[in-house]
Amino acid sequence: MNLALATPMVLVLLPLALLPLLLSSQRTQSYPSVEGIETDPLSVALDWLLRIAGVVAIAALILGIGGLHRLGRTIEKTGEGAHIVLLVDRSSSMDNTFAGRAPEGGEESKSAAARRLLKDFILHRDHDLVGVAAFSTSPMHVLPMTEHKGAVMAAVDAMDRPGLAFTNVGRGLALALDMQEADTSPAARVIVLISDGAAVIDRKVQEQLRAAFARRPINLYWLFLRTEGTPGISTVPAPDEQDTPQAMPERHLDKFFKSLGISYRAFEAENPQAVADAIAEIGKLERSPITYFERIPHEDLKARAFAVAIAAMLVLLAAKLAEVRLVPESEEA
Amino acid sequence: MRERLRDARFWALLAALASTCVALVLPRLTLNREVYDVVAVVDITASMNTRDMTPAGKPVSRLDAAKAALERLLSDLPCQSRLGLGVFTERRSFLLFNPAEVCENFAPLEVAVQELDWRMAWEGDSMVAKGFYDAMSIAEDLKADLIFLTDGQEAPPLPGGGTMLPEFEGTRGKVQGLLIGVGGHDKVPLPKFDDEGHEIGTYTADELPQENRTGPPPPDAQLRPGYHPKWAPFGTDPPTGDEHLTSVRTAQLDTLAASVGFGRADLVDSPNLLRILSEHAHTRPVEVAVDIRPVPAALALALLVGLYLAPLLARVRIPAWRSRGAVPPMHGAVLRT
Repeated sequence: MNLALATPMVLVLLPLALLPLLLSSQRTQSYPSVEGIETDPLSVALDWLLRIAGVVAIAALILGIGGLHRLGRTIEKTGEGAHIVLLVDRSSSMDNTFAGRAPEGGEESKSAAARRLLKDFILHRDHDLVGVAAFSTSPMHVLPMTEHKGAVMAAVDAMDRPGLAFTNVGRGLALALDMQEADTSPAARVIVLISDGAAVIDRKVQEQLRAAFARRPINLYWLFLRTEGTPGISTVPAPDEQDTPQAMPERHLDKFFKSLGISYRAFEAENPQAVADAIAEIGKLERSPITYFERIPHEDLKARAFAVAIAAMLVLLAAKLAEVRLVPESEEA
Repeated sequence: MRERLRDARFWALLAALASTCVALVLPRLTLNREVYDVVAVVDITASMNTRDMTPAGKPVSRLDAAKAALERLLSDLPCQSRLGLGVFTERRSFLLFNPAEVCENFAPLEVAVQELDWRMAWEGDSMVAKGFYDAMSIAEDLKADLIFLTDGQEAPPLPGGGTMLPEFEGTRGKVQGLLIGVGGHDKVPLPKFDDEGHEIGTYTADELPQENRTGPPPPDAQLRPGYHPKWAPFGTDPPTGDEHLTSVRTAQLDTLAASVGFGRADLVDSPNLLRILSEHAHTRPVEVAVDIRPVPAALALALLVGLYLAPLLARVRIPAWRSRGAVPPMHGAVLRT
């Protein structure tokens, strides 16, 4: 029973509820002597009943006016889900379509398609905690891990704004790992990297990432929004081509992720349908048990307080109606 | 029964009962309230690290002061208002998230404001006016108003001796909002950072460009030593200035705000953003349900308390009555019936 008042200041009025113990609501009348009347238990009980009815009526009204309510609670439940960090590439190439040109007519840019599908994904995941980070030239913390879908939607909505120049995957991943690290629950941890390209990760940053990934299990998904005709993750260089991270960043980023020894999957999507399939697949994979908190909204008890006051007042009214004069009015006073 | 009808306390009890019944069945009242849709864009360039703000008596950086002001705004905004957040460096603004409802999403929004960091910056330049115009176009696109928090330190300095503002290309008045100056009024040295982000002292005069010589020369250039209209339009002396010192650029921000019809204030003078915002932003009417049940309940309470206090008040009146010479009734005893 977590009861609370909306305006606790009304409690200063609460001593008024003691009035019925001191004073009576019934008419005081003259009587020669009460010595002649024996105290009978019924009268005493009735007297106390009336006093208590008065106390209850006043106290209930005060509590009702003060906005009595039962506090909202969060109860722990177990469901299926994960703690997800969306790591979004905000570099300017995300503004292009899958065909590699600026969107025109009914075409959808890569980030607009990803945005639409991600929002859909988040809406259908009931128990996940979602955090959002963005990276481009530098990593940017956008939203902490939260269960408030409104904020996550707002952050995903912003992802198809024109972005900045570069793709600094390494620092972005470091930020996403930091966000996962700050969360201490035993839930399954997921990083979903959404990008349309890759870049060379500095060797120093590579070592830091390797150490961070080794600290605790994290499932990594790379949603690679590939432009048609560009080198992909699995493109093997021709014998006369250079096989260096600079020449083939996607292939080498994939190799780096595979070498981490974590649960990792890459989805190469060349059109919105492939993105949808990939997101559905992630949704299917991330179904480990998770404890989540369900909010039970606060319950307004004003009406009940008023009902109690009415009941008490009905008792008082009954007593009033039962009042009789011992002496005719003209003789009194 | 007739005399019962004459008993004032009977009526008081009946009235208290009736108004409590009214309180029980009274529906909620729908009122209109004005809320705001705002995008806040914060300057995160290096000059915002200058520690010349003292909001709570302790010196903090301009960025921290701006964040504190935004946190306060976040809790001051009426529910159903929406707040979006962006950062500015170089010449453009970067939106982190679209406006989101402030009460339901309070916790994540508050953390997002706290996590703003100058390391998010992607470039060292700080072309405030261009970034401001860019933020305006983002806000216009989101149909929101704008709060732009900056110290106004242009790096590199504006051409024409620091007077030539870039042209505003949008429509004036479409976006309303505030241009908030962050920083002290006294000039202090700019802090300097190394590649790893560690603070390593302050800038000296010759480490920063003191004058922008890309545009046309300032009108008084012919007075400079060695001036030649073709070969030395800026004179021959090395540029001097105090670009390595920084304070909130009040005059320049005033001009910028006036050119687009924005409200202007400096954070040092007025830390309450909502008060200024209410004078310069569009509002959106929303309906809120207001519980007015306590009003009849309060009436019932007053009646009930009066009911019990009545005999006490009557007793107070008795001495006055007695002094007029009348004899009060002799009570052998008081009996409650």
